Amino acid sequence: MEQNKNLNWEKYTKTTHKIGKAASIIVLIMLVGAPFLIGKYLGAYPNLAAAGKGFFSVGLVWMVSSVAEFLIYTPMLGSGGGYLAFITGNLINMKIPCAVNARDMVGAKSGTRENEIISTLSIATSSLVTILILAIGVAALTPLRPLLQNPSLQPAFDNVVPALFGAMAYKYYRKNMKIALVPLVVMSLLFIFVPSLVGSTSFMIIPSGAMAIGIAYYFYKKEKRTN
Amino acid sequence: MSILEKLSSTPMYLICGGIIAFVALLCVVFMVRAYRAGKAIGMDTAKMKRVIVSSATFSVLPSIGILLGVIALSGSLGIPWPWLRLSVIGALHYETQVAQAAAEQVGMDKLSSEQMTASGFATIALLMSVCIMWGMILSVLFNRKYTGKFNKNIKKGGDTSALGFGDMAMTAMFIGLVSAYIGSYIGSFVSSDGLFTLRGDWTPLIVVAVSGITMALFIFLSKKPKFAFVENFSIAVSMLFGMAAAVLINLI
Repeated sequence: MEQNKNLNWEKYTKTTHKIGKAASIIVLIMLVGAPFLIGKYLGAYPNLAAAGKGFFSVGLVWMVSSVAEFLIYTPMLGSGGGYLAFITGNLINMKIPCAVNARDMVGAKSGTRENEIISTLSIATSSLVTILILAIGVAALTPLRPLLQNPSLQPAFDNVVPALFGAMAYKYYRKNMKIALVPLVVMSLLFIFVPSLVGSTSFMIIPSGAMAIGIAYYFYKKEKRTN
Repeated sequence: MSILEKLSSTPMYLICGGIIAFVALLCVVFMVRAYRAGKAIGMDTAKMKRVIVSSATFSVLPSIGILLGVIALSGSLGIPWPWLRLSVIGALHYETQVAQAAAEQVGMDKLSSEQMTASGFATIALLMSVCIMWGMILSVLFNRKYTGKFNKNIKKGGDTSALGFGDMAMTAMFIGLVSAYIGSYIGSFVSSDGLFTLRGDWTPLIVVAVSGITMALFIFLSKKPKFAFVENFSIAVSMLFGMAAAVLINLI
């Protein structure tokens, strides 16, 4: 019975990779092809020389960021969740916190079957909600625009990310203050003394995360020695 | 027909809507497969339903924030393209930045409908797609090998056993992520207007605090058997309170 279950799981994982790879390639072709199709409709194709120059001025930075995101987040998301998250985007401000919250809610451990299922369910649901809300929003853009662009509501939407991280910080810091204290203090001091780094916060995640992992490893080893 | 009208015309909606529909279908496929696989390996369906409800409520407010990104970009790029970019692969903090940089490369002073041309739009659209596609490419090339490492113990049959340091490392990485952002809010407040001037924007810090305190209340409530259900909505409501605090601060 257990062997059968394992065989099914193997099959499930293999198919997930097949679908994930095929879907990613199709979406890539569609996304890169769309500007040319639109260009055909508009009567002017993209200027490849300008696009090339643009890529070297801003694209390289995002390429490095994408590599870091892939290395950091794929183990958190698992295979199915990983493919979906990189297709649907909005990782830091939505998908990662959403998947981490779901995983924590059911107590799933990284790398387990349960985590793979939970993470895929969470990312798929989150993506569908975004697609649905944007579709409704776009359909009702004319009546919604005055409400959403009301100046008194702007501070709320400018602070979606702090609101998200405030809630998540309490949830994770309270159980792991020993790990959180040093990266929080070091990052705060760094941003205080070099305020220009604020524009590169998404890159500062790497040293901050490395620091947190290093401290976590120290406590992990210490705990192991004590036991 | 002006360029902006053309960019929001029916063929544009069909092209962009078609891609979005494909991705939505993909999400449904992944979701149904995961749910069935979860059932097959004996996972509690109530747990899986809780994850779906919690993830849905969690995503509502950030999605409305993303919708604002669509509105912001629609003034220069029309509605369908920003709708596609922010529904699929894009990221709120990325799109405006890259669109602006791309506009400069095609000779525009700034991203605006007055200066937009057909070729300019097609180039900006291509650059927006190319700059952020690397995560997908890496997934195609390495997801299997990379996740395979973490799944080694599953193949050996040790499904639910703890994975040593791996799980702790993931939590630590997330703590690092949150710390970097909160540190940036502190740094902005203290020094953005000159070192230690304390004249920067303090709204994000208050929002973090209000959202965190609300979360603390929810965690306290969720531990009481009668109120266990509130855990599903804890993040969404905490965010709502935090965002409401930002509105109030602005009114004062």
